[in-house]
Parts: sequence; C-alpha cells; structure tokens
Amino acid sequence: MNPVIETLKRAQVDWRMVLMSAVLVLVAVVFNILSEGIFLSPENLYNIAQQTAVVGILATVMVLVIVTRNIDLSVGSVMGFVGVLIAYLMYSESWSWPAACAAGLAACVVVYIYQGALVSFLGVPAFVVTLGGLMSFRGAAYIIADGKTQPISDPFFLKLGGGYNGGIGTTASWAIGAFICVALLVSMINARRSKKAYGVPTNSLLVDGILVVIPMVIVMVFVAAMNAYQILNKPEPQGIPIPVLIWGAVAVFMSFLVHRTRFGRYIFAMGGNPDAAALVGIPVRRVTLLLFLLLAVLTTIAAIVAISRLNAGTNSLGNSAELLVIAATVIGGTALSGGSGTIVGSVLGALIMQSIDSGMLLLDVSIGTRYVIIGQVLIAAVVFDVAYRRWTGDTA
Amino acid sequence: MSNSMNGSEGQLVVDAGRCLVEMRNIRKSFGGVHAVDDVSLNLYPGEVVAVLGHNGAGKSTLMKMLAGAYPIDSGDIVISGEKVNVRKPADAQALGIESIYQTLALADNLDSVANLFLGRELLTAWRTLDDHRMDSEARKVFLRLNKNFTNVRIPVRRLSGGQRQVVAISRAIYFNARILIMDEPTAALGPEETAMVGKLIQQLKQEGVGIFLISHDMHDVFALSDRVAVMKNGKMVGTYNTRDVTEDEVLGMIIGGKRPDGKAQAPRQPGAPS
Repeated sequence: MNPVIETLKRAQVDWRMVLMSAVLVLVAVVFNILSEGIFLSPENLYNIAQQTAVVGILATVMVLVIVTRNIDLSVGSVMGFVGVLIAYLMYSESWSWPAACAAGLAACVVVYIYQGALVSFLGVPAFVVTLGGLMSFRGAAYIIADGKTQPISDPFFLKLGGGYNGGIGTTASWAIGAFICVALLVSMINARRSKKAYGVPTNSLLVDGILVVIPMVIVMVFVAAMNAYQILNKPEPQGIPIPVLIWGAVAVFMSFLVHRTRFGRYIFAMGGNPDAAALVGIPVRRVTLLLFLLLAVLTTIAAIVAISRLNAGTNSLGNSAELLVIAATVIGGTALSGGSGTIVGSVLGALIMQSIDSGMLLLDVSIGTRYVIIGQVLIAAVVFDVAYRRWTGDTA
Repeated sequence: MSNSMNGSEGQLVVDAGRCLVEMRNIRKSFGGVHAVDDVSLNLYPGEVVAVLGHNGAGKSTLMKMLAGAYPIDSGDIVISGEKVNVRKPADAQALGIESIYQTLALADNLDSVANLFLGRELLTAWRTLDDHRMDSEARKVFLRLNKNFTNVRIPVRRLSGGQRQVVAISRAIYFNARILIMDEPTAALGPEETAMVGKLIQQLKQEGVGIFLISHDMHDVFALSDRVAVMKNGKMVGTYNTRDVTEDEVLGMIIGGKRPDGKAQAPRQPGAPS
C-alpha cells in the first residue's frame, strides 16, 4: 500500500470528523459567496453560534442515548416543561433565579428518573416511553402557567441566553482562548509522555503537532470573530456569547465522560453488544438510569439557556426541538443502530444544520423550501454514513 | 475399571478437600421449563471436564449459572470447599471464575484493549480510565497468545475470528482464572488457531486451572478432556473418565441418554488418591 496512506491510516485521526469539518467549511464558503460576504461576517457567526447552543447542548447527550440504542423523543417537551416552570417560579412566584433553576432541575430529575426507570428496569422501549413523554410534558408545560407566557426580567439570568448583554467581552474571550490552547498542548504532551512510559506506540510528532495546532487555530479564529462583533452604540465588542461557552463546557465535559470514565466506556459497550455488556458484568440497568439522570441535568441547562434567549417561558418552548436534536446527532455521524457516535460529531452536526438553515434564511429562501432542504440534508448524511461504514469495513 | 469404587449412581462421593468446584443439586427453570434439573458436577484443579449434550440439554445454562449470568433457583455452588453465592458476573469474577462464551461476549465497536478490560477497567488515582496502562498490559497478554497480533486499537469487528478469540481468551489469562469455562472455543477457528487453543488448554492445566469445556467437536473432547459429563433434557446422564469411554458410547449418551453398560462413573479426578 501507498506509504503515505498507510501513515495516515495508522495515525489515530478520526477521518469522519475531518470530512465533516470540511463539509462545514464548504457550506460556510458557499453561503458566504451567495450572500456576498454576509454569512462569514462576525455578526452572523455570533448569531449562528448562539442559536445553535440549545440544540447543541441537547445533541451532546442525545449521542449517548442513541449510542445505547435508545432514543429520547420527549426532550423538547421536557425542556418546555422545565423552562416554563423556571420562568413561572421567577415571574409569578417571585423566586430568585438560583432557587427557580434548582426547582426546575429537581422536576427534570423526577421526570427522567420516571422515564429512565420504565426503560431500564421494566424494559419498556424508550421510543414508546418518550413518545408518551413528548405528549404529556407538552401538556404539563401548558398546565403550569395555564398557557400564559412567563416573561423574564432578571438581568443576570438574561445573559445566559446571549443576546445584547450576553457576551463575555474581549479580554475574557482572549483569556479563555489562550487557556484552551495551553490545555490542549499540555494534554497532548502528557498523553505522549504517558504513552512513552508504558511503551505504547505514539503518533509521529508531526501528526500530533497538527492534531494540536488545528483545534488551537479554530479556537483562536472563533474568539477573534466573536471579538470582532460590536453592536452599534456599545462601547466594547461582544466576545464569546455565554450560551456558546455553556455549550462548549458541556461538550468538553461529555467528551471527558466518553473517553475517560467507566460510565462512557459502558455506554458504548452496551450499544455495541448489550448481551456482552451484561455477561462481562456491566450493571446495564444502573448505567441506563444514570444516562437518563445526565439527560435530566443537560435538559435543565438547555431549558435555562432557551428561556433566557427567549426572555420568557412559553408553553411552546422547545416545540419539535427533539427532531432538530436527533437530526443534529445523526448528521454528526451517530448511528441509530447504536454503538457509535462522537460528541465532537454532534457539535459539528448541529453547526452544519444551523448553518444551512441560517444561510438559506439570509438568502430569503422560504420556510417551506428550507424544511425540504434540511430534511434532505439529514438523509444525505445518513446515506453518507452508510457508504462510509461500508468503505471502512465498519458495517454495524 | 480403575475407579469402580467411586460411588454408585445418584450418590457421587467426592474428595471435598481438593475439589475446585462442586455444583450440588443445581436447578433452574425458565417459565415452566426445567432447563437444569437437579444436576451435580465437580471439577478438580488442572482438570478438563467436557460438558456435552444437545442444544437445549442445559449445559450452557449450567455453566452460565456458575459464571453468574443466571442466578440459580436452588442448589449449592462450593468453590475450594466454601459455599459461595454467585448472583452476578462480578461475583464469579471475584472467585476467579472466567468464561469464554461461544459468542465471545465482545463489544464489536470497541477495540481489543477496551474489550479485554471491559467491566474491570484499570483506573488512575483520579478514578479515570488508565488507558495507556491498559494498552500496555493488553499488548503483553495478546503477544503471549499470538505474536502477530499488534493492531489492538481498531474495533474488534475488523479482526479475524482467531484474533477475536485471542481477545476473549486474554480476559481469562489476564485476570488469572482459577476456573475457566470455555463454550465452543474452537467452533469459529481454523486448524492453526484450534491448535493454539489446544496448546493453551494444556498450559493452563499445568498451572492448575480447572476447565469446563463445552464442545460438540468429539475430536476436541477426546484430545483435551480428562472427563466427560453428558447432559440431556436438563438432567445429568453421567460423568466418566474420557479414557474409559468410546466416542460411540458418548454419542449414545448424548442422543439416547443411555449410560454405557459396565462402565463406572467417575465423579473424581483420574488418578486421585482415594
């Protein structure tokens, strides 16, 4: 075989991610040309980033749900329910925002323990449980405030959704960018040292170098773009929007769970071969229930960001969000047959979907056409996925 | 016959002190079906006992109870003279019981290293996965079994049947099995790999590991086992020293449930002092 291809294959690089990033870049460039430079303007990038955050946060955990061969159709409704509850407690009951959020989290945990227990201990298919949840919790979102919109006015809380005051400013943005770069570098050096210490083969210094430098460049370019966006009459540019920061933190945390903990390992083992997982002694039911707990935490976070972005809790909050979340997850390379998927993929999937949608919006494409196209993008992603697996011999 | 003094049917006299595993009067039913019905079987260190029977005879169920995959309904499991409770796979693992399932019990989407340690990952002081230590330990075990096995970081679904078998067997070796259950270990293997498994079994015997071997392959059974235990319809037909019986007699037990005339059962290890 060609030695170059051999080296590339042996390097521990996820080529699917590279390809998806290329697709994202291609989408951005094409829309930028069609929109005559508006698409890649700092303002548009800022908006896309913060618009994607809610779906992106939920997609990171949907990856794990789908990897375990489950599905959560209720996530949009539960987010609506929890969002309205938090807004209601703040507006109609005058609770402080931390207390309201804690109550929202508690409610969400109860909801997901209920659904998770049905799935893990009684073995009811998650599709059915969460389909019921999809309807019930949409209804519950209506009941809480009797269908009335619950406005939010707490100035700090409103920052969590981004918007006018929702950027962290230039200095903090540069600091975070620099911190991430140092962290990437240190972790790569540590990994190489640890591999050497145990005599495990390492990538060549060049490959590892590229693997560190590329994310660094992406982070710094992103920070620069966010720092270049200044709203008229504001003294300072926006910097990274807080919801994107939350999304990033969630994604890093979820990646950590997947790669560094038993929990993540077990999630993938259960998805790859449920029988084997049970035979080797993995506590399958407990892990499934824990996954639903994680879903509860992230759905609460997403609900907080969503109501803050909207400046209100409404009973339609998160309507059909479950479909966008599942679509983003699938576009991000997560197989519905279970056992494979990545957090980074979900981030890219959410960004690709939102970019195409926003790009068409910029070009004044009608809503009908946009839906038609987004739907076909989803199908194209799955077709690609099937072809890619066949090509690499990873047929599941 | 050499062991004619050992017990009559239904009352097996065993040398409890040296016995590695004693399964006494084990029962298990699924719904109304008696999958395993009052079965007793024992195993000595360094011994290979072939467990035979048709599909559905109850041999796999019996072994899965020993491995903790199914809880037993009634009966006792005694390991090295001590009565134990094996309720889940982790209990069995803690007692040094390892299983190599016919299906291999591999997560196809994970790599060989992850599969070797699945359920028993090595952790750092921070309770996170110690990936590089697992990698290095795994390579050592794999190399012991197959010198050409170096692509340990690709999903096991891309490996050959023999390599997959190596991963499954490595679990037993790495975690120092005292008692090994092998369910059709050579069914999916080529001749070379079958020979490797045979050699490995000899080696483990030398180290005093007791092995239950479930197999349909009569050649394997006669080449590798010290005793044969035949089950039919959930009951134990009989246990004999392998060298005392012929292939036809064994097949007669498997198919007809008929004990061979004039052959003494062998509840104990061949050549053990009385």
